[in-house]
Amino acid sequence: MTNETLSVDRQEIAVDIACVGFGPATAGFLTTLSQTLMNSDGSPAIESRVMPGAPLQVVCYERADDVGFAVSGVVTRARAIRTTFPALNLQDIPLATAVSREELVYLLDPIGASRRPWYMRFADKTIRALRRILPYEKEALRLPYIPPFLRKDDGLLLSLGQFHQWVASQLLASGLVQIWPGTPVAEPLIEGDSVKGVRLADQGVTKDGTPTESFMPGMDILADLVVVGDGPVGPVGRKLEEKFGGSKPSHLNEWAVGMKMVVDLPENCTLPEGTVIHTFGFPEPEIFGFLYVYRDRVASLGIFVPSWFQNPVRSAYRYLQHWMLHPYLWQHLEGGTLRSWGAKSLKESGKLGEPELIGNGFARIGEGSGSTNVLTGSGVDEAWLTGALLAQAVIQLAKNGQTFSKENLEKTYLKLRRGSWLETEATIAQHARNGFHWGFFSGLLGMSLAGFTHGMLHFPRRKKNHRMPSLEEFFKNRIAPEEIAQIRKECYAKGKSLHDALMTKAGWPEIPFDNKLLVSHQDALLLGGKVQAPDSYADHVLFLYPELCDACGVKLCAEMCSGQAITPNPNGGRPNFDREKCVHCGACLWNCTQAQPTDPDKTAVEFRAGAGGLHSAEN
Amino acid sequence: MSEGYHIVVCAGIVPDPLQTLQPVQTPTGWGLKNEMMLPAVLDPWAAHALYEAAHLAKKTPGSKVYLVSLAPKAKLQQVMMTVAQKAAFELVPVDGPASGFTEAFEVASALYEAIMGIAGLDRNKLLLFGGWESASRGAGSTLQILGEMLQIHDQFQGVDECTVNPDGSLQILERVEGGNHQVSVCKGPPVVLGWATGNLPEPPNNPQIGMSNMRTIMPALQKAKTAKIGADGVFFGSVELPKQLRQTRVVKDAQVDEIAREILEWIRK
Amino acid sequence: METILVVLNVDENGNLSKHALETVSAGVKLSKGLSSPFTVGIVGPKPELAAELIGGCGATHFLGVSAEAFQIPRYVTDSVLIENLANKSQATLILAPGSSRWNRVLPGVAHRLGGRADLHVGELKVAEGKLSITKWYYRQRMEAVLQRAHRPWCLGLDSGADAPWQGERGQVSVEILDIPINPAEIRTQVQGAKSPSTSEQTIRPDAELLFVAGAGWTKKQADGQAHPDRAAELILRFLQLSGASLGGSKSLVDLSSEGQSVLPFMTHLNQVGQTGATPRHPKGLATCCHGEEPHVVGWRFINERRAVNLDPNCGWAHGKADVLYVADAFQVMERLNALLEQEKQSK
Ligand SMILES: Cc1cc2nc3c(=O)[nH]c(=O)nc-3n(C[C@H](O)[C@H](O)[C@H](O)COP(=O)(O)OP(=O)(O)OC[C@H]3O[C@@H](n4cnc5c(N)ncnc54)[C@H](O)[C@@H]3O)c2cc1C
Ligand SMILES: Cc1cc2nc3c(=O)[nH]c(=O)nc-3n(C[C@H](O)[C@H](O)[C@H](O)COP(=O)(O)OP(=O)(O)OC[C@H]3O[C@@H](n4cnc5c(N)ncnc54)[C@H](O)[C@@H]3O)c2cc1C
Ligand code: SF4
Ligand code: SF4
Repeated sequence: MTNETLSVDRQEIAVDIACVGFGPATAGFLTTLSQTLMNSDGSPAIESRVMPGAPLQVVCYERADDVGFAVSGVVTRARAIRTTFPALNLQDIPLATAVSREELVYLLDPIGASRRPWYMRFADKTIRALRRILPYEKEALRLPYIPPFLRKDDGLLLSLGQFHQWVASQLLASGLVQIWPGTPVAEPLIEGDSVKGVRLADQGVTKDGTPTESFMPGMDILADLVVVGDGPVGPVGRKLEEKFGGSKPSHLNEWAVGMKMVVDLPENCTLPEGTVIHTFGFPEPEIFGFLYVYRDRVASLGIFVPSWFQNPVRSAYRYLQHWMLHPYLWQHLEGGTLRSWGAKSLKESGKLGEPELIGNGFARIGEGSGSTNVLTGSGVDEAWLTGALLAQAVIQLAKNGQTFSKENLEKTYLKLRRGSWLETEATIAQHARNGFHWGFFSGLLGMSLAGFTHGMLHFPRRKKNHRMPSLEEFFKNRIAPEEIAQIRKECYAKGKSLHDALMTKAGWPEIPFDNKLLVSHQDALLLGGKVQAPDSYADHVLFLYPELCDACGVKLCAEMCSGQAITPNPNGGRPNFDREKCVHCGACLWNCTQAQPTDPDKTAVEFRAGAGGLHSAEN
Repeated sequence: MSEGYHIVVCAGIVPDPLQTLQPVQTPTGWGLKNEMMLPAVLDPWAAHALYEAAHLAKKTPGSKVYLVSLAPKAKLQQVMMTVAQKAAFELVPVDGPASGFTEAFEVASALYEAIMGIAGLDRNKLLLFGGWESASRGAGSTLQILGEMLQIHDQFQGVDECTVNPDGSLQILERVEGGNHQVSVCKGPPVVLGWATGNLPEPPNNPQIGMSNMRTIMPALQKAKTAKIGADGVFFGSVELPKQLRQTRVVKDAQVDEIAREILEWIRK
Repeated sequence: METILVVLNVDENGNLSKHALETVSAGVKLSKGLSSPFTVGIVGPKPELAAELIGGCGATHFLGVSAEAFQIPRYVTDSVLIENLANKSQATLILAPGSSRWNRVLPGVAHRLGGRADLHVGELKVAEGKLSITKWYYRQRMEAVLQRAHRPWCLGLDSGADAPWQGERGQVSVEILDIPINPAEIRTQVQGAKSPSTSEQTIRPDAELLFVAGAGWTKKQADGQAHPDRAAELILRFLQLSGASLGGSKSLVDLSSEGQSVLPFMTHLNQVGQTGATPRHPKGLATCCHGEEPHVVGWRFINERRAVNLDPNCGWAHGKADVLYVADAFQVMERLNALLEQEKQSK
């Protein structure tokens, strides 16, 4: 790290509470906290320790360039959010819409390129044969019954970006907390068994971190409490796991990359406002999809490509397009226009991947703390709740003049969290996905079992992470090894990843670009994502072991890169990384197929805190 | 000039430049589709003016920088989160529309009111900064009108550089035709400088500056006066996106030689 | 009825620039369309000579300003100049070429006269006895047609707004105005023009062709290496041979001005696009530039557009260029330069 090698004049500032990341978790924390920071007579309800006489000094640092540049679905039951805002008026939040109807849809394979096990092909055939009597429409089967754990009857549809803007504007107007976007936090400041604050990323450095003449070493923010809400792939959270344990071996970590669009639906689209559609079965059995209809004929839609989908060229973008083109969805989408696009990782291991939640001087909230529930497909409200609970704990401790020690946080935050609905539901959900380790059918069965029996019955986990099959294994019987070798040679020489060529070869039709909704990956970056990277920071994606990359047969990092920011290096060695295309989805971190020689639970990709990324506030 | 300058930077906010913009007619005139949903940034050229101001103030002890901004309060507040860490300034906000379809004269009048309300502002130290054109109205008019209102007749537009000579005079480089600069020397304040890109890089985010700025920004925003801004006397017949899609012929797999010849032919046509 | 004033300045050679002649055409057009008289005001050491050049334009009156203080572009003097011409002519519509000189003062003067101004006026239209203008908003992203109630209305015309006036010379009488100005008010001295500190003048507004270089020129190429020196050589040679004007994408300009020895002759003045220039040339050739929207908006006034890019899916492919050559720009430019050399030698 540059920090150690360079003795630099690093400035410090002291605050009471420093938060890392502005996601729903921190938003919940700051909102709940700010509601009680002042007495009604204008005097501080809790006095600052670092600035006596003033109210608690609370800052929040967010790496993205604006508070609204978040990515999510979102359908949510919003139980915790509504508790914080009892008088929530959806009209105040752009795009917010009440859920009006739900569909759970099994998508058949209309193309024949989907990699389906025999029983699914059989199911498809049967459904087609019985289509007169089944709720069948356009190569899809609408399930007559949606299990209660999946339902969002009383729920809301939100644009997380717009929700964030709305929350942040109230927080700022209160004048009680400061939120600083465009400010990546490099790492926690750890002293012995305590966290003393955070260090911001260095500025004025070249891509490889070398100081330039405008070098400004990242400042140290000293804080009594560091609130870590940096999401699924945040470097601060990962560093804490490394230091304070609780970190789970990688086979317990389950991930997915969610890729989405916001679309102006065509004028003739008849989908009612508030519609929620969830799909499964296509483009691959492992890929789930969602389509939510906001007011004013705008939809949020996308897919999840999970880590247990053992495809060495699992490119979310191409799959997203095939999914949109499925007749059941395309009937609503054809003629629509792309407004926004984005991608982000999801930590799907939930409670199983829960790290150490507290320690001296720090507390973890949100998805990085294992709050996301894969069984109910819900993370926003859960994250918000963890933040709100932590705020309650902080208020209690501060009012009693108690420190933010591990012991005190255990008696307050941890206790509140363990006693909440979040914990009950997370426990039910924790093994819900195990079935997918064994196959698609067992996966669905496992989810239902866990859902209906409240977690009592579930599939066992497979012990070890599967090794990613080689291209030759994966495309066996579909593409000859010589052809793969040829494609590999041609693509790598051009510095291109292989997925497009291989998918086309395997029978996926070319995408008929219409320049409105079906656009090239790069255009999606430009039109929908508006991706940008400020210079002055170091690159945040690093390939630590060039020799591993050189020998790596499936450069999955490049294949699945959400922004085509990583490309194979024609000269071998490290892949190339172009941060101007990176959307900070974090998927390269967990998709890398190689383990570090010294730590088998870590991959060869280092994902650090960086600025820039998406500039869309609608995702 | 040991006592320093009073640098007043006028900067509006505009939609983040990469956003898709579409004009729509609203009850109050023309505007942008989903205007309030679009992320906003400080007007790029005016932002350069702010960086130049901060730089000059730092070099000239005793100087003060004011950022005068007319924009919807909530949006301005959000933009401040990204600007306030860049340079030390005192915000003088005016709550009003940031739309490009408002009239420069009315904007200048509102800015004039705000500037006249700045306590202790010394005309003999006054450098009025701004972007030479906004990225919204693109009128290139507001600063000149404001300068006239303030009776400042040393005005420069498209400024890329302003240096202080030992005798206190200012050497100013303005963009003129053909990629050249016009070099002028002005005796000193008061002057109006409408900045182009300047030569300074965007300053790094400095949390310390941010925290101290915020202490005055939030109260100032809370007290911001509302200005009624429109486009009196302007009648828009239409506002349209250019229809500009071409039928692109994509030439793949052609020999380099063939391509070069075709281009040459085209150039010579 | 309106009263029209056309304000012009003579160039170093005593001539009227193309831009000035376009403004004359606009004045003639308005005078006819609005059945209004028009006055031409000329600033120059010998305004009579310039007036003679456009003697046949039909202006009702010629005013001239020859005093030395008014010969250089400067706000304080130029504003007094237009103020006096306007008062003398009682103009309600004041037209001037939208050059850096007149754009600097028109809005301020308009205010001084109690009127309004519009710069970057693209087109003047007269319908039903009323003047409408077209003007871009949001950095050339949308175009508005508008009218104004306030007078005088000062208009800075973009070049290309009208065809340059072509007509008979003619002997005309020019009334030379003597404009008083208090020397104490002149606090600014203009020292002249400074060209960018490069040996090569790369911006040529009158060139037929705009040549745009993008960041691809500095990126690693198929051999895994970057070749900035080779790129610089190819580009400069092409500019010499073709007489094209050089534009750059923001990415490239940023790289170059970061002090990295990428393309030393690239400055931010070359930047084309939303935050750069919107030059006017009949043709444009983009190389190693992705054709992203913020860049391409700067091409609004480039009529014919071609691009060379390795990526068949780059922005240019999507309706932004007339022709996209999917090829290595290094190779294409090398070949193109060779062809140009041949052409030169055979001449
Ligand atoms: C496509 C998609 C669809 C989804 N759909 C739904 C849905 O329908 N319903 C639902 O409930 N949930 C949904 N989720 C999940 C939900 O979005 C997440 O669970 C939720 O956002 C987690 O909130 P968080 O606050 O914990 O973390 P995040 O939202 O990840 O926020 C963390 C923040 O920290 C910032 N950060 C990270 N590192 C640093 C650093 N070093 N310095 C500073 N800042 C940093 C990040 O930029 C980010 O803004 C979806 C997710 C995806 C990707
Ligand atoms: C506020 C703001 C304002 C902006 N304003 C502007 C502006 O005014 N002007 C502007 O240009 N941009 C502007 N942009 C930036 C814009 O979005 C793009 O980032 C920029 O235009 C990209 O430049 P590029 O196409 O040169 O570089 P890249 O996107 O890096 O593209 C390089 C291209 O070169 C090609 N290439 C590489 N090698 C070769 C080869 N050997 N032969 C052929 N092709 C090759 C590649 O295929 C690629 O398409 C702005 C952005 C922001 C945020
Ligand atoms: S980063 Fe990982 S997946 Fe990518 S090439 Fe290297 S070893 Fe392979
Ligand atoms: S490089 Fe960026 S866009 Fe690509 S996978 Fe990694 S984080 Fe996502």
